[in-house]
Amino acid sequence: MIEFFNKMKGGKQSPPAVNLSEILWSWLGAFLGITPVAFLHYNMFSEKAIVLIIGSFGASAVLIYGAIRSPLAQPRNLVGGHLVSAVIGVASYKLFPDAVWLASSFGVATAIAAMHATKTLHPPGGATALIAVIGGEQIHKLGFYYALMPVGSGVLIMLFVAVIVNNLAKSRRYPEFWF
Amino acid sequence: MKSNTLNQCTIGFSEDDIIEAMRDISGYLDITPSDFKEIYQIASRHALERLKNSVKAEHVMTTPVITAFEETSILDAAKQMAHNNISGVPVLNNKQRVAGILSEKDFLKRMVHKDGIVRENEKDSGSFMSIIAQCLDFRGCLAADLKKLYVKDIMSFPPVTVEKSISIMDVAAIFESRKINRVPVLDENANLAGIIARSDIVQAFC
Repeated sequence: MIEFFNKMKGGKQSPPAVNLSEILWSWLGAFLGITPVAFLHYNMFSEKAIVLIIGSFGASAVLIYGAIRSPLAQPRNLVGGHLVSAVIGVASYKLFPDAVWLASSFGVATAIAAMHATKTLHPPGGATALIAVIGGEQIHKLGFYYALMPVGSGVLIMLFVAVIVNNLAKSRRYPEFWF
Repeated sequence: MKSNTLNQCTIGFSEDDIIEAMRDISGYLDITPSDFKEIYQIASRHALERLKNSVKAEHVMTTPVITAFEETSILDAAKQMAHNNISGVPVLNNKQRVAGILSEKDFLKRMVHKDGIVRENEKDSGSFMSIIAQCLDFRGCLAADLKKLYVKDIMSFPPVTVEKSISIMDVAAIFESRKINRVPVLDENANLAGIIARSDIVQAFC
């Protein structure tokens, strides 16, 4: 029992801060990655709800431009995590259309489990699954196409930018692995 | 015991060292220093385990082996050892089997005692300094007395030997427990295949 509470103390050291060049490259990558995605979404989709998905991409940007060595930020995880979660989010809503609260929790929890199982854990996937449920009528209308557009299309644009921009920096390389 | 020492060598760094290393690597590393330490410790245990099992005596042994025969005069044996700059040789009997080991120590043991009788309980038997002390004490330098002896008269036996397939961790343990510096390696038919010296073990790890 005491062991249980002792574990809450933490007590281990936090990692060091990154240097300035890393900060600047992270900024540049995120700026160049989110720009085309946001621009396209605001101009192509008149439905406001679809633009919600940019929230999930913002989270992906942290990883694929800010923590590019992380296993969570690799292409397999980025693409796989979003696609798996999108499908599960849509399915979850179809399963519990009358209980959005349940569809939400079931969708996110199942998305995490599925990402683990497929070695595609990518934290923004949780948002992608959730948005499929709470995005409202316009997103529900897309059905499983939600996984291809806007999710898949946006992810590929962000990945393309990551592969270009992250490798411009001398001290950086991306990805660590593709699959 | 050996493996513990090695373990300590490989994991003897602090979390501060890791944080320093993480600073040296540019880019955000998605791992805490203590997680890294844990991974490293487990990885080095696995590496040791692999070394332990994968590097066998036959991989590090020296071959061909310079040998002496039981019937070789110890003058010839000493010349041969001096010529090859080695401090010990396996001794073969007339069936080509390893019958004993002849090392510097066997000579030293004899040289401190005029009559050639080894008094094992004497503390100073067999060290180079005890011979110097004896010479200075005007009891004479006694190497000449050994002239008429043969290898079989002074060699150590029965010899400690190992099989080709034994792991070098086990060889290291034998060096330690038997207080020896070299060990002949035998093949499946108990014929001499090679020899391992302490330094060969060190080289295998570096």
